[in-house]
Amino acid sequence: MELLVTLRKRALLERVIPFVDGIIVGKFFTSSYHCSLKEIVEINVICKANQKKLYIALDDFISEDDINALYQYLEFIRKLEPDGIYFHDLGIIAAAKKYGLSDRLIYDGKTVACNSLDTAFLLSKGIDSVVLSRELTLEEIARILQNNPRQIDLQVFGHQRLSYSKRRFLTNYFKEINKKNYKYLDNENLFLVEEQRDYKLPIIENEEGTFIYSDYVLEMFNELPELKPYLKRAIIDTLFINDDTIIDVCKDLHRITSDNKLFLRDHLYQNHPDSYSSGFLYQRTNISKDE
Amino acid sequence: MSKVELLAPAKDLQKAKIAIMYGADAVYVGGKFFSLRSRASNFTIDDLRELCIFKKIYDAKVYVTVNIVFHDSDYEGIREYLKLLDDIGVDGIIISSLALLRIARQVAPGLECHISTQLSSLNSLAVETLKEFGADRVVLAREASMEQIGRIAAITDLPLEVFIHGGMCSNYSGRCVLSNRMTLRDANRGGCAHSCRWKYHLFEGDKIISNPNCLLLMSSKDLRASAYVEEMIRCGVASLKIEGRMKSEYYIGQVVKTYRRMIDEIELRGHLIEERLAYYDAELSKAENRPSDDGFLSGDCDNSKHLYGVNGAGVTHDYVAYVHRYDKARSLCMIEVKNVFKRGDRIEVFGPHVDNERFMVDQMFDQNWNIVELANKPTQLLFLRIPFEVHQGDMFRKVSL
Repeated sequence: MELLVTLRKRALLERVIPFVDGIIVGKFFTSSYHCSLKEIVEINVICKANQKKLYIALDDFISEDDINALYQYLEFIRKLEPDGIYFHDLGIIAAAKKYGLSDRLIYDGKTVACNSLDTAFLLSKGIDSVVLSRELTLEEIARILQNNPRQIDLQVFGHQRLSYSKRRFLTNYFKEINKKNYKYLDNENLFLVEEQRDYKLPIIENEEGTFIYSDYVLEMFNELPELKPYLKRAIIDTLFINDDTIIDVCKDLHRITSDNKLFLRDHLYQNHPDSYSSGFLYQRTNISKDE
Repeated sequence: MSKVELLAPAKDLQKAKIAIMYGADAVYVGGKFFSLRSRASNFTIDDLRELCIFKKIYDAKVYVTVNIVFHDSDYEGIREYLKLLDDIGVDGIIISSLALLRIARQVAPGLECHISTQLSSLNSLAVETLKEFGADRVVLAREASMEQIGRIAAITDLPLEVFIHGGMCSNYSGRCVLSNRMTLRDANRGGCAHSCRWKYHLFEGDKIISNPNCLLLMSSKDLRASAYVEEMIRCGVASLKIEGRMKSEYYIGQVVKTYRRMIDEIELRGHLIEERLAYYDAELSKAENRPSDDGFLSGDCDNSKHLYGVNGAGVTHDYVAYVHRYDKARSLCMIEVKNVFKRGDRIEVFGPHVDNERFMVDQMFDQNWNIVELANKPTQLLFLRIPFEVHQGDMFRKVSL
């Protein structure tokens, strides 16, 4: 199993690279990454020099207007010879074929990759692996892994994406309440709190739309050792996470994966207090209205 | 111009029949299992069997939604179910699970496989991929603009289905699990709690920055694409879809009939003049709509396309009766009361064969022939004297003088 981390700042590369097997970066068609093309080229060189893998994230939808831009970007990606491309839009499958990148595709449907059969279907079409949806229980994850061993990726740390809209919720809201000159685009310090509940959900708007994330930070320190033999890649998602926590999490998960030790997550809880949670791992969410 | 399909939703057997009688070329319905909209009544196999017999009278089609985002445990019984749908004459299934493309081919080769909007297909490359996977039709994402739809349609030969009317998710369909987090109800398996329609405070760090008198809502206005129907037909969209499997028979009847007439007029004359479009828009407004707009069809969705401080479903009490039968010799019809009306009220009748004909309620009787002045018992059957011919399936709505 490879341990990967999403890299949102070039400056963090040297600090995390000793502890991970690969880096996920992105520039276009992704809401989660902010590296420039020049930085991506540089990161690629460093990764290759350190025998680390490079993955490109294309984890947003693509409109018909953006297809030419997508082709240009794929041409850039092809030259990098990345180890994989995380994609969200099924159109990438057809596009990647034109650039000889089909064998590197990793499907990240965020909320729609929830079962063994769909996973097997995509794998049979030449997709390298599938990132499971974030709302699955541990039992469901284990079953899918057993059915598709070493062909599955999983987010094991970080905030979970709860929703993705093309609508500009913040732009529209500020316009509606006539609040001008507020810096809200790409602002990672904004939160929604529903009237009757106290969950503090990070909300971020950028060029791709508006995204809402879980109030908690998912951590799978205890579960990872058991899943590791069946996983292809484990992903540390660093959106909204501070630099020191990122580095410590990379170190800690590296120990779990390399030494095969059940690491003490107490270290994380003590040194980087945050709202950690097992997310949906032990909480099924198909409760009907009658229950 | 190619012949376009008008596709209507139906919550139950009666509404499906109404949709077909009022002019839908096809209806989409949910079975008891594997379908989103868990609160819709949904069809038993017997209901589906009856609908498949009924559709033949009108040469209509029936599609069944099998569009939950499946978890492993949800597939139990799916092969038998699909085979049964094929056997009883269902024309197609609407799916979001790609694995069902393969399973359906194996066990139910007569079923067309339509890719649900749950997969948010937004571009011609996605359509190309899905065609290669074996899809027979793709429902485009509601985030595509009219211009983009036109370009996608020009590139692909796979039939495309486009939403023209009804509710819209504020997020990309299928890409939202807010309901899971807020209520433990799975948004993608029929349990959506519509958390996007709730009110939210907005914080920057620990400081509230939202306006207490106007909290943040993500809720979108409904879609009304009447102004785009002509262009959709012209660019070769195969199916125009009305949303609303939870909606009333009145809504279904009014919206289907209006779009039916609009499509027929466009196909007959080649185009729709402005006055006629205004007329059809006025007709659509008679249904129980939430505030509506053209969504992403015209491009971006700004704040005017959101519902701030509004959460009404637009329910009115205008729909007062459903016609069960008509006795021409005695000019008497048997109606089922839906909402309150009384002697002296002015009524407009509409139906598959009658266009907004009006009369004043004069003589009403119960089943024992007692005179009734006030019809205020929903589902009660009454007899009513009416000066023109009506038919089973026509509806009455109350209008102002």
